[in-house]
Amino acid sequence: MIANLIVGGLAAGCLYAMVGIAIVIVLNITDIANFAQGEMAMVTTFFAYWLLDSVGLTWWQAVPIAVLFGLVQGIVIQQVVIRPLIGSPVLSAIIATLGLNIVLNSVAGLIWGHQTYTFPSPFAFSPPFMIGTVPVSVDSVVNIAAGLAIVIAMTWFLRFTWIGLGLRAASQNPTVARMMGVSISRTSAIAWGLGGLVGGISGILVAPSLFLDTNLMGALLIKAFAGGVLGGLNSLIGVFLGCLALGVAENLVGAYLSPAFGEAITFIIIIAVLIVRPEGIFGRVKARKV
Amino acid sequence: MARLSVENVSVDFGGIHALRDVSFELESGAIVGLIGPNGAGKSTLLNCVSGITRPTRGQVRLDDAVLSALPPATVAGCGIGRVFQHPELVVDLPVRENLLIACHRSLGYGLVSELLKLPNVWAAERAAARRVDHVLERLGLSDSAELAIRNLPYGHRKLVDLGRALLMEIRFLLLDEPIAGLNDAEVAKLRDLLLRLRQELGLGILVVEHNMPFVSGLCDRLVVLDLGRLIANGPPVDVLRDPKVMASYLGEDA
Amino acid sequence: MSVAADITRAQRQAASFGVSSVLLGLCFAAACAAPFVLNGYGLYVLTLTGVFALVALGLNLLTGYAGQISLCHAAFFGVGAYATAILTQKVGLPYLLSILVGGLLTACIGAVVAVPAMRLKSLYLAIATLGFGVVLQKIIFEWRSLTNGGGGLALSPPAIAGYELGATGLYYLTLALVTLGIWGAWNVSRGRTGRALLIIKESEIAAGALGIPAARYKVIAFAISAFYAAVAGGLFAYLVRYIHPENFSVGLSIAFLSMVVIGGLGTIGGSIVGAAFYVIVPELLRGIKDAPGLVFGLLLVIVMVLMPQGLWGLVRRLGRRA
Repeated sequence: MIANLIVGGLAAGCLYAMVGIAIVIVLNITDIANFAQGEMAMVTTFFAYWLLDSVGLTWWQAVPIAVLFGLVQGIVIQQVVIRPLIGSPVLSAIIATLGLNIVLNSVAGLIWGHQTYTFPSPFAFSPPFMIGTVPVSVDSVVNIAAGLAIVIAMTWFLRFTWIGLGLRAASQNPTVARMMGVSISRTSAIAWGLGGLVGGISGILVAPSLFLDTNLMGALLIKAFAGGVLGGLNSLIGVFLGCLALGVAENLVGAYLSPAFGEAITFIIIIAVLIVRPEGIFGRVKARKV
Repeated sequence: MARLSVENVSVDFGGIHALRDVSFELESGAIVGLIGPNGAGKSTLLNCVSGITRPTRGQVRLDDAVLSALPPATVAGCGIGRVFQHPELVVDLPVRENLLIACHRSLGYGLVSELLKLPNVWAAERAAARRVDHVLERLGLSDSAELAIRNLPYGHRKLVDLGRALLMEIRFLLLDEPIAGLNDAEVAKLRDLLLRLRQELGLGILVVEHNMPFVSGLCDRLVVLDLGRLIANGPPVDVLRDPKVMASYLGEDA
Repeated sequence: MSVAADITRAQRQAASFGVSSVLLGLCFAAACAAPFVLNGYGLYVLTLTGVFALVALGLNLLTGYAGQISLCHAAFFGVGAYATAILTQKVGLPYLLSILVGGLLTACIGAVVAVPAMRLKSLYLAIATLGFGVVLQKIIFEWRSLTNGGGGLALSPPAIAGYELGATGLYYLTLALVTLGIWGAWNVSRGRTGRALLIIKESEIAAGALGIPAARYKVIAFAISAFYAAVAGGLFAYLVRYIHPENFSVGLSIAFLSMVVIGGLGTIGGSIVGAAFYVIVPELLRGIKDAPGLVFGLLLVIVMVLMPQGLWGLVRRLGRRA
């Protein structure tokens, strides 16, 4: 019984983690918290749905195209909304992402309405894996595998590729990075593109279980942030583990205390972390030069 | 007479030893220069005195009171004024309003009084306005009082920053590279201003600077840091001839 | 803008003070005369504008002056609404007292939410308030014994000193509270707290060097803005006479933020204009469900990128050229 809850919590946590990773990539490289991350993912998922439903592609054909759409969406948003704001106070960019949040939500509503759609998953009818006596749905396994894959891929990308190094350099010291030939605007675009891509993946994976409508990602966004705060907003591993922990905690608290408490745990965790260890479990304190 | 003491202060940032066992004193009425090559820890030391950075070991004291455990706003309230390398002023407000911000503590009225604009608020604001006028005159900025900061030349912005510190009824003034970006005329004016402030108000002044003629002409004493350690402390004439000091600036094979 | 323009602007400001006082007086007189001119629906819209203006005035202090983002002001609005309703209907307190108590209670809750986050970057406050807004909606929903949960609360008309407040009475009460709210906000903006918030927004380190404890003042701004929102909620509850947890979602919090931003951050006029805008646009776009959201969202982005002074800034620029 408890094993079920934990596995379920891990699977849910991985979904939060994917949104969280998208947020953390953008946050660490461009210093902007993208409060529209969830809605961007929702739009990408609706696009995938359109490919599946109206265009008639298979899941395996539609998803790569949709993910590419997510990438392009991220870059476009960065170029149109974020780039003009480079140099303005961070407050302006956060407000702009909130505006974007509403815009994307409204546009999706105008195009697809407010009904709920079923989003298919190719694993829906596969028999569950068995870990000992605990049945684990294939969907859960895929979510966990995808989460792990993304964390590993992103970490490798940022640490071992030239582009990744450029991204990290730009985030730590834009002036010097610029002198070394790193284009700040381009790294910003790449970061936002990656965020859109990863977010899109998360939306497509979560839609089958939560059903597709304009409110799909709203709740996930806050959980992604909460997991990020818990694990450390400047650490990819941190946000991944923090979101996993959050998913498991939600399930356990929801089962043993009450469902309402399970929801509240998100907020309680945020506040507790902010009081005790604001940089998160795996986070590092960033020193400020005065 | 008050005394600001830095006692065995060490600061570690992770693996970096920004300051190692630094001790010196600043009395009221003394002007001390803090010099050293880049990365020596000068700004870190100022931050320790201001309360922005907490020393890993050691303490900063004002007479008998320990400052280093206090938050920056409280340290400022004890009479320690700080002028930063880059003035951070509210650019959309005029000079006068920016200076009024510094009167915050002396205005002292409560939130409820402020919401209801009670008579004590009117009186306090009038008194503060007079003090601001006085400081504007002292700094020669009276004509610029209504100008927005964004329209002010850099040298005047630094003066406004200094004016903010003066309005706080300070006993000690910490200046971080005050003449960076100023032309010769402005440098001379600042030097005279600091000397007058020392004379008229009995301020103890600690100046971080790179410009040797400026510090030797202004300061009674020089304190030299190199790689976080204090390597000299004495009159400019002696310190600038000290072989250790020359080595730290020019490299070992001098 | 040149130095000469600064000086002539100061001189003109002194002269125009006389003009603005007259304009203000006219506006107030018009506001007082409104119930005799407007029909029931028009009066409702105007009262609603007043309610949102009150929220905006408080939020403007937090976001426009202190530069902090809150994503839970709909929750404070809701707490004020429910607190006023419960205190008036179940506990039997006089309506005005309920509003005041609800406001103070919410201010305390606001302080508790804000304190852990205030020593950190404003992002953490945004996240904490986002979490709080979600949780509070849940609490209102689940605490059925107190709030009737998803069933909502139906309210009978309020009374002051025995006289029942109809639409006109509620309008004048709103007008009075908005006037008080404007006056209080104006005093704070001209006082040491307002100035402290401005330097905190610019640089918390500079604020510290001036003896201003940044964290404390951010909490104060937060609590004041929560108070304003809660009082507005108390009015709102009795304007619509039926409140439901769905009313007070994170979406409404973002809408509140868009009010102050589109109106013009950091200005009292901006708060009023933003509130009016927020009430009028859905009326104009009635029928198309997502159209108002699209308009607000787009404007939020456009204002940030192209016209940071908002609509009020536009009005002032036109006024200066006139």
